[in-house]
Amino acid sequence: MRAEVVHPVRSAPLHRPGRAVGRRKLWRCESGSSAPEPPESQGQRSGRVETSGARRVLVIDDERAIRLLCRVNLVASGIDVLEARDGREGLALARKERPDLVLLDVMMPEVDGWTVARELAADEETREIPVVFLTARAEAADKRLGEQLGGVGYLIKPFDPVTIGDYVEEVLARIDRGEREQLRRDISSGPAR
Amino acid sequence: MSTRETNEAADRARRLQRVAELLAEAVEPQQVLDAILTEGVRAAEARAGAIGILSEDGKNVELLAARGYDAAVMHGWASFPLAAALPMSEVIRTGEPVFVANIEQRNRDYPDLAHQGQDSHALVVVPLAVEGRVFGAMSLSFDEDIEFEPERREMKMALARQAAQALARSRLYAAEQSMRERMTFLAEASELLGSSLDYNSTLRRVAQLSVPGLADWCAIDMVGPNGEIERLAVAHEDPEKVRWAYELQDRYPPDPDAPTGVPQVLRTGEPEFYPELPQELLEEAIADDDELRRIVEELGLKSSICVPLVARGRKLGALTLIAAEKHPAYTQADLDLAIELARRAAIAVDNARLFQEAERGANAARALAYVADGVVLLDDDNHVRHWNPAAAAITGVSEEEALGRPVGDVVSVWDALTSHVPLVAPGRAARTVTVPLVLAGRERWVAVSGVAFGQGTVFALQDVTDEHALEKTRSDFVATASHELRTPLAAVYGAVRTLRRQDVVLSEDDRTQFLEMIESEATRLARIVDQILLAGQLDADAVDVALSECDPAAVAAGVVESAELHLPENISIRLATDSAPRISCDESKLRQVLVNLVDNAVKYSPAGGSVELRVSNGDGACVIDVIDEGLGIPPDESDRIFEKFYRLDPQQTYGVGGSGLGLYICRELVERMDGRLRVESEPGHGSRFTLELPVQR
Repeated sequence: MRAEVVHPVRSAPLHRPGRAVGRRKLWRCESGSSAPEPPESQGQRSGRVETSGARRVLVIDDERAIRLLCRVNLVASGIDVLEARDGREGLALARKERPDLVLLDVMMPEVDGWTVARELAADEETREIPVVFLTARAEAADKRLGEQLGGVGYLIKPFDPVTIGDYVEEVLARIDRGEREQLRRDISSGPAR
Repeated sequence: MSTRETNEAADRARRLQRVAELLAEAVEPQQVLDAILTEGVRAAEARAGAIGILSEDGKNVELLAARGYDAAVMHGWASFPLAAALPMSEVIRTGEPVFVANIEQRNRDYPDLAHQGQDSHALVVVPLAVEGRVFGAMSLSFDEDIEFEPERREMKMALARQAAQALARSRLYAAEQSMRERMTFLAEASELLGSSLDYNSTLRRVAQLSVPGLADWCAIDMVGPNGEIERLAVAHEDPEKVRWAYELQDRYPPDPDAPTGVPQVLRTGEPEFYPELPQELLEEAIADDDELRRIVEELGLKSSICVPLVARGRKLGALTLIAAEKHPAYTQADLDLAIELARRAAIAVDNARLFQEAERGANAARALAYVADGVVLLDDDNHVRHWNPAAAAITGVSEEEALGRPVGDVVSVWDALTSHVPLVAPGRAARTVTVPLVLAGRERWVAVSGVAFGQGTVFALQDVTDEHALEKTRSDFVATASHELRTPLAAVYGAVRTLRRQDVVLSEDDRTQFLEMIESEATRLARIVDQILLAGQLDADAVDVALSECDPAAVAAGVVESAELHLPENISIRLATDSAPRISCDESKLRQVLVNLVDNAVKYSPAGGSVELRVSNGDGACVIDVIDEGLGIPPDESDRIFEKFYRLDPQQTYGVGGSGLGLYICRELVERMDGRLRVESEPGHGSRFTLELPVQR
């Protein structure tokens, strides 16, 4: 059964799910604590779920709660999750693991999300990794910056974590269809997310 | 010589002597005239006598006085031409006496007189002369026909000489007297005019001073700012009549286009002088108004002078003098006096106005010099005409550098500064536009308004940099508060959404984590909301602080204990107490302050480290230090961090959450408990917040 879209904050509609993609089956999630440790420990909270062939998403957020939400729900959609709890850790993990997509918070200590996006875009090795901002910054100027930094999506907190897996699948599918530029432009001019 | 003749001669000499004595005693012209026409006429054994004087313009003979003639005979002889073929005119013309023995001779020599005074007999007219200059003549009429013998002729001539001298002397005396009076009056008026800058009231007093000495009526009219004529003063000896005059003026308002009187004088700038008001003029004014005729007759207007008040070529008003019931008709001397008075009054008014203008100018200059707003005056060519000190302060360009130059040269960004400012017409509400002004590397926010008047534009510049910063921090606060609320809200909402997912079976551990998340994030939300409310209450001074005895070490221990419960793993906290004194404070508020300070220390130590609470005994105070090893605070910001909405890192890129209110709330609460809160810090090496609370007294 599909979750209904809820709009608890009028000024910032929650993520609207795209068309249904991905596998629809019950998943028994492995909890974060029981997930195998990455070979090179990048931090106690980072982790990754090995499922060969599945998409891999890197969640960079200093808020443990947000990382937990993303992990549980993405894994439920059959997506592997990598976690980083700040910008520096996120950059290192992105370079090392080359995830299929990055869910990126903006307000983080020391190295913020804007910097992470800038550095990912500046590095040939990571340039192609799509970045979706997941942030509490809801102003138009912030969205424009996200667009300028090459993001492919812009989710404003609070967001609906239940549909996050579908959303990621849809973004990746559209990128596969060559709609990356359209996704970027939609950040500030497209339908509100 | 016969005895009779000798006696008669002696008698004449005595009479002459008597007249001479009388004339010597007489001072005023009237006394002289009386003496001549009574004793003189008697001494000459004449029936009647008259004295005529050459008029000021030398064209007429004016009869000064007569005695012994019938009123009917005298009618019409008050004044007659010098050129007339009359004995008195002839005598004044020639300086030679005329002796007429009888009526036949008179009618023969002076045919103009033939038809009147048929019962007339001998007539003598002798010249009145002083130092060879004839100024009048005296006539004597006799009851009988007389062939005048040389002695009698000589006696008449002697009498004339005496009379002439006495008359001339008395007239001189009277003229001098009158001159002295005029001078006194002028001196008094001048003193009055110079006594005050309130020229309106001064002029009223001058008008008052003019009656009744100078006039029966005195009026002063002034030219108003729009060229209208305003009656400033009307004076008459009788205040009742002044009231009546004003009523009259209301009933018959003066015509500003009238061809005579004040309007005419103000138009031409020339005096108007009627030694005798022409009847036609009055008739014209009266027209067919019977009421007005009655009034004019009651006024008994005789003679008038109207002179303009002119200073520096500008007609300021007019002074009107009217001789009516009491004052004699005006002479040239009166006109001269009026002109002089008007001249002095005009100068006084002009001076007072100049002074007031200068003072207003000086006041305006003072206002412009000290006003906090920059005021810039540009002429039609956009050259700077005024540049006050505030304008200099805002733009950083001095008055000397600015004056007289094109404003675009003075301030290169002037166009950018003013291009969005709507210029309004004078009197309209100016519209202020706030624009940034970057000059010499300084960025200022300037509120600009402009008024365009006929000869240029005046701009007001207000430095609103501080207000703008405050406004920006306010709007930043709204954005910040919204960000701060969004993250915990996202956690709570997300956790609930996830827990309700039916397509996923969560592990027990995840479920527990989600429930804990909901609880802690909801608490966090509540705290942010509390802080916003508390700041609002502090602003409204609606926070009660209940001081009571308390143990600061115990409070600090409690704070440390609860902080330890959710401390990040890379941060440690410890408490050091050193015989802390008991203090008087609000325990819950103190706890709130310490919780905030510890939270802050933790938040601003993203790389971990230790946080220490140190409670010690200061000088008459309990000192609590909260020391961290975190990011620290740049020295120039160490005071600003206590400002409401101020955030050390406005971009929030460090992700250090908070409402921007924590330290503001701390300092406000501490000060309400008579304590002090300050900070020392070295950027990169941590901060030390020091809280001092007075020892219980």
